[in-house]
Amino acid sequence: MTHGFAVDRAFVTVSLKRRLAYKTQWIVALVLGGGAMLVSMALWRNLLSGGALSGYDWDSMRAYIIIGFVTGTLVFGAADWYIADRILDGHVAIDLTKPVDFQRARAAEYVGSMISTVPTVVVGVIGAWLLFDPPGPVSATAGVLTVLSLLLVFPLAFGITYLSILVCFWTKRYLGIMWLREALLGFFSGMMIPLAFMPSWLQAVAWALPFPHFTATPAAIYLGHVDTAGALGLLAAEAAWGVGMWIGARLVFRHAVKKVTVHGG
Amino acid sequence: MADLLAPRRPAGARHVGAVYTRAIVAQIRSITEYPADFWVMASAGVMWNVLQFAFLTVLFATVPDVAGWRYHEMLMLSGLFTVASGSTALLCDGVWSTGQMVLKGEIDYRITRPAPVVVQVATTHIGMQGFGEVAFGLVMLAYGWIGAGLGLAPVPIGLLAIACAVTIECALVTLFCAVNFWIKGPMSNFAFMLIDLQSNAMVLPLGLFPIGVRLLTMFVIPVAFVNFVPVAVLTGHLSAAWLVGTPLAALACVLAALGVYRLGLRSYDSSGH
Repeated sequence: MTHGFAVDRAFVTVSLKRRLAYKTQWIVALVLGGGAMLVSMALWRNLLSGGALSGYDWDSMRAYIIIGFVTGTLVFGAADWYIADRILDGHVAIDLTKPVDFQRARAAEYVGSMISTVPTVVVGVIGAWLLFDPPGPVSATAGVLTVLSLLLVFPLAFGITYLSILVCFWTKRYLGIMWLREALLGFFSGMMIPLAFMPSWLQAVAWALPFPHFTATPAAIYLGHVDTAGALGLLAAEAAWGVGMWIGARLVFRHAVKKVTVHGG
Repeated sequence: MADLLAPRRPAGARHVGAVYTRAIVAQIRSITEYPADFWVMASAGVMWNVLQFAFLTVLFATVPDVAGWRYHEMLMLSGLFTVASGSTALLCDGVWSTGQMVLKGEIDYRITRPAPVVVQVATTHIGMQGFGEVAFGLVMLAYGWIGAGLGLAPVPIGLLAIACAVTIECALVTLFCAVNFWIKGPMSNFAFMLIDLQSNAMVLPLGLFPIGVRLLTMFVIPVAFVNFVPVAVLTGHLSAAWLVGTPLAALACVLAALGVYRLGLRSYDSSGH
């Protein structure tokens, strides 16, 4: 068991160091995430200047957008390409010969790469706080539960990303799969527009998927749109999605690995 | 190094066109070998835009306008940008590999061939998502056009706007990818930032942003001429005089892109230096 955790830690560290070697990535992530956040702020400030819409006023929307920035930077900045490339170029054959669990090793690497985005998140959030002065969490409990919800984003993000990467066993490129995933995630998580603005049938579709837990769940807890019991229920659903996708990924991998091709072989 | 190896006479337009066409046709042939890939990529291109369409539809169910722009006008804004960005994937997607080629010294043998390097690099790949993007972008543009009640009279202006938008976008992507000649790295980060910021900000009315952003996007990096200016002229938000700026911006962007790429080739010193 201890050996297993030591291996995980080694994968996390290596992945983190690999990401930190490319410092321009931080700047790029900050410009991209920060740019998107500023655009959202400009849009919603204009729209909410006349008063609240669908339960969001300018105060709550500022906090909502910053939470979206945090989760977006964590998820979109992680090293999904590294895993995909190894499947596409056949290096996965070497990974399969190593005496470590493939999925667990990739999860450790993925979490390591997500940790590398934390400096970007911290700089972005401090900048946003100074510029926009958003309201704090509705209560101390809500604050703690929001942090818990953000931590659960790590396994959730890995589950969704890993499952989508496994499609590379059947395709020759990853770019389209990544865009498809990011498009669905951006829309159904509420990053593009809060789910409360959607018609009820579309909200039902969104909540039947894992995506809302990336933005809608932490924002709802932070802003007090749900009480403590509701927040715990959302966290339970978020954790269940993480576990469910972990198990689902194992089943898919067992089937997908039979498709592995190395240099046309 | 590039100066020493470059052909002494500039290649004629017909020759360049022939090289470009042959290379692109070869890429299309290779696409047909991987149909699953094609459909995944094309669907991804469509999905991005379906969700942009959904975003606008959901938003306008709650608000009547955004900074004075109504639903169908915003659809035109998104549609024209999508057509332009999708076209870059179909016409010059290879420029995204400039950074990789510089890093690995793969520009070397392209310099020795009797065709412009930028054309050879641009045609090394086709972004298959572009098929879906262009198709759905045109649908959004047409739907917005009809909904905004524009009719058939301004169609020539629309066609000019599309041609200029595609030209500007291709030129700007090429220019920003050429930055990798000096700032070396495998990823075309600057071009990626350009596209990402465009897809976030330029699908919204410029009136939402501070004056500095408006000036920057009009006169420094003229991305506003890709979609905002033509659509604003068509829908009456700007006077028709602004339309003159669109082909001028296209010409300026092409000259800038070719100039920067040429300067990049001059500073290129292969790999290992």
